[in-house]
Amino acid sequence: METVDINVNMGPQHPSTHGVFRMVLTIDGERVMDVEPHIGYMHRGAEKLSEEMDYRQAIGYQDRTDYLAQFMNEQAYCMAVEKLLDIEVPERAEYIRVILCELNRIASHFMFLGAFGIDLGHFGTSFTYGFREREHIQDIFEEVTGERLMYSYFRPGGLVWDVPDNFVQRVRDVLPKSRQGLQDLDMLLTGNEIVSVRSRGVGVMSAEDAVSWGLSGPLLRAAGVEWDLRRDKPYSIYDRFQYDIPVGTHGDVYDRYLVRVEEVRQSIRIVEQALDQLPDGPIMPEKMPRKLRGPEAEIYSAVEGARGEYGIYLVSKGGDKPYRLKMRSPSFCNLSALRDMTIGNYVADAVAILGSIDIVLGCVDR
Amino acid sequence: MLGILKSMYVTMNAMMRKPVTIHYPDHHRDVPQRDRAFPILLWDKEVDEPFCTGCHACERACPVECMTVVMKDNPLHADGKSERRKIVDQFWIDYGRCMRCNICVEVCNFEAIAMNNTWAGHELSKFDRNDLVLDLDQLLSQHKQGKIDAWVPE
Amino acid sequence: MMLALTYDVGNIWLDSLLGLLAIIVLMTVGALALIWLERKVSARIQMRLGPMRVGPYGLLQTLADAVKLVGKEDMRPRSADRWVFELAPFVVFVPAFVAFVAIPFTRDWAVAFLDLGLFFIVAVTGLSFVGFLMAGWASDNKYALLGGLRAAAQLISYEIPMVLSLIAVTMIVGSLNLSDIVIYQGRVPLFVWQPLAFFIFIVAALAELERQPFDIPTAESEVVGGPFIEYSGIRWSIFYLASYTNLIVYSLLGALVFLGGWDWPLGREAGLWLQVLLTFGKTMFLILLFMWVRFAMPRLRIDQLMSYCWKVLIPLAFLQIFLNGLVLVYGWPDFTLLLTSGAGLLLAGYIVDRTVRADPRTLRMVPANPGAAEPAAADSAGS
Ligand code: SF4
Ligand code: SF4
Repeated sequence: METVDINVNMGPQHPSTHGVFRMVLTIDGERVMDVEPHIGYMHRGAEKLSEEMDYRQAIGYQDRTDYLAQFMNEQAYCMAVEKLLDIEVPERAEYIRVILCELNRIASHFMFLGAFGIDLGHFGTSFTYGFREREHIQDIFEEVTGERLMYSYFRPGGLVWDVPDNFVQRVRDVLPKSRQGLQDLDMLLTGNEIVSVRSRGVGVMSAEDAVSWGLSGPLLRAAGVEWDLRRDKPYSIYDRFQYDIPVGTHGDVYDRYLVRVEEVRQSIRIVEQALDQLPDGPIMPEKMPRKLRGPEAEIYSAVEGARGEYGIYLVSKGGDKPYRLKMRSPSFCNLSALRDMTIGNYVADAVAILGSIDIVLGCVDR
Repeated sequence: MLGILKSMYVTMNAMMRKPVTIHYPDHHRDVPQRDRAFPILLWDKEVDEPFCTGCHACERACPVECMTVVMKDNPLHADGKSERRKIVDQFWIDYGRCMRCNICVEVCNFEAIAMNNTWAGHELSKFDRNDLVLDLDQLLSQHKQGKIDAWVPE
Repeated sequence: MMLALTYDVGNIWLDSLLGLLAIIVLMTVGALALIWLERKVSARIQMRLGPMRVGPYGLLQTLADAVKLVGKEDMRPRSADRWVFELAPFVVFVPAFVAFVAIPFTRDWAVAFLDLGLFFIVAVTGLSFVGFLMAGWASDNKYALLGGLRAAAQLISYEIPMVLSLIAVTMIVGSLNLSDIVIYQGRVPLFVWQPLAFFIFIVAALAELERQPFDIPTAESEVVGGPFIEYSGIRWSIFYLASYTNLIVYSLLGALVFLGGWDWPLGREAGLWLQVLLTFGKTMFLILLFMWVRFAMPRLRIDQLMSYCWKVLIPLAFLQIFLNGLVLVYGWPDFTLLLTSGAGLLLAGYIVDRTVRADPRTLRMVPANPGAAEPAAADSAGS
């Protein structure tokens, strides 16, 4: 009997593509023979736009790339500008930045855990659990910055304004809730046999492949590579905290899930330590120039974002605007390995693998 | 099997807890004092005129260029009632383009502009995009009527 | 409505017409109520409020939705196979509806007491996969085709363990008449003696109902609704109605066969309303169980679904039949049924567990900055 492979178009409007991402699957029955990812539906030219903006204005665009880990993007951008202008960030600002970034990582990972459940077929339960916890953290962000999503709170040199007085207490109140929520999700997903059979041995990526694809973040660590920019290229004040870096052993979807669960715990640890050490003081350097003008230079600064290495490559030819701004987005690099991981698996696995990469389309397309 | 039972347990446990959502259009969540909806202009109640002098600082700093400011000589200054020599004549903000970045509030030297921190500032759906372009009267009206307790940093 | 079930006009045509009318009303109201209930249950499990707007506690929400659906345009893709496409919802719907005919709600209420009632229900409900296949094929949509094929594979496969588990029960009872089965159970319902068969029945019913963890044909995150993807308006709502009617049918069947139907442990002389209440309560229990499972489980993959059916459930069902045969042939006392079947249930649990036990996962934890200043809250840090 003659059989043909059929092309199935998944996305850009599809519940499991996490935004406007499109995969053209070539399937033989239920097996995926080929995947062709199409990106760019959300391209807004953020890099080009940033060239037209002065150093303060462009922060708003950093929020809009990886819109689930906004503080990390702002951090990377501000670090680049600070390096360019040779600005020293005050202690207190650094601590608040770390606290907010780690909370942001927790929030982002909660979002992942929820969405991962949906990709595996949960009817929204894990999603609402994840969202519930994210909401607690989001409330803190809203109290601090006034915004719920596009914070634009960091500035080259520090922060736009100080945190409210009850900030420390608020964070301390929320952390146990996050722990509890994590435990809920843990019970819902980790031990569940169906989750296990669905995700174990699926989308395996070996350590060598992961490195040569340029993966970063939880994907790379799940593949068994000890690499965390917070430890290996210390920036900000991360060298002052104790935490563990979870490293996977199999490099499959399940390991990626576990790594993220563990990272939430470690982030909670970091936040607790940072809260204890939070000093008083100014949040902006004493003598900040009113207009930021940089010398001629090329700067690369990177942070360990929630999805991997978020880097800013900034070329300045003087003046108050960058000559070129390149964002190294972790989602984009991680997504490039999708085809390799998916071929030969089932259609349902393709969804799980895409979910485990945890892409944010704003970050992929920029 | 144990894992499945655990999942069942945790869902049952959640069922016993109080729902975390609220019934939206009937109930609103409280917005914090720093809440940033869209920028509005503030009204100087002592002199009965806007704080804004029409200095164009915010207009220049806005990343998306959604503001338009026109300045004029202040008639009240000629009468000696006001300190402000110049005052805003026309002011438009296109809420459809504004990305709520707060930069206009930061750059304003006269504390004349602030972000709307009420719930009403978020519910702005309109049938026509042009309705989202607010003119001076609309921008001032909320603070003039005392509906807003604006938070201006520093 | 209930009266109509027993009312004997004397004319056989009128009688059956009244009976069918009663069923239609019961089924529609039941399905609407269940849709509301499912939304509420899911909302509470997910810590939401659920529908609240229409009527008190959103009670009329499904009614409003039904009105909306009926008022919607009935769209058909231009390239769809017209007749097959338009008939498919009814092919799914009718079996669920017909199955009701043979279900006795109390000792003397049923549209028809069939001697082969169990056989009839199983045979009729087994037909619905044709409708899914028709819908999937006729829609001329690849998602629908995938979903239709998945539905066909799944429904046919799970029909087998379902039937086998029911056979295990009928072996003990010695009758296929649902009334006989209930009457046989008396004070002790059959799930006590046949936990393994009950387990298999529940799992197979979940699969037949296409609910999590077996909602593979309609998988929202993969094939986006599967066979129903091109349907809209009234036809889509018929599919929906059918799925909830099926939920009622399987729950009723489970309640009658395994939970003792209208009998209860406290005595056989239950009055009419108590009987209704008991049947209703037991059915409700199963329905809530199905709903609970739905919102606690992710979805299996199609190959795992198949291997679970053919490699686990069917052998276990045969094991149950074999054990029952042994007990019956040698005339061992009743509790041996419980012992053997219970052991089988443990075996089933072990088989599921083994998949995870075989490969325990731990992460390697690499401490970063071990030399960093010892945090003050070290003991509370790290759970
Ligand atoms: S709002 Fe402030 S910055 Fe803008 S024109 Fe008025 S005074 Fe100038
Ligand atoms: S908030 Fe930002 S985008 Fe909006 S008007 Fe002010 S400066 Fe422009």
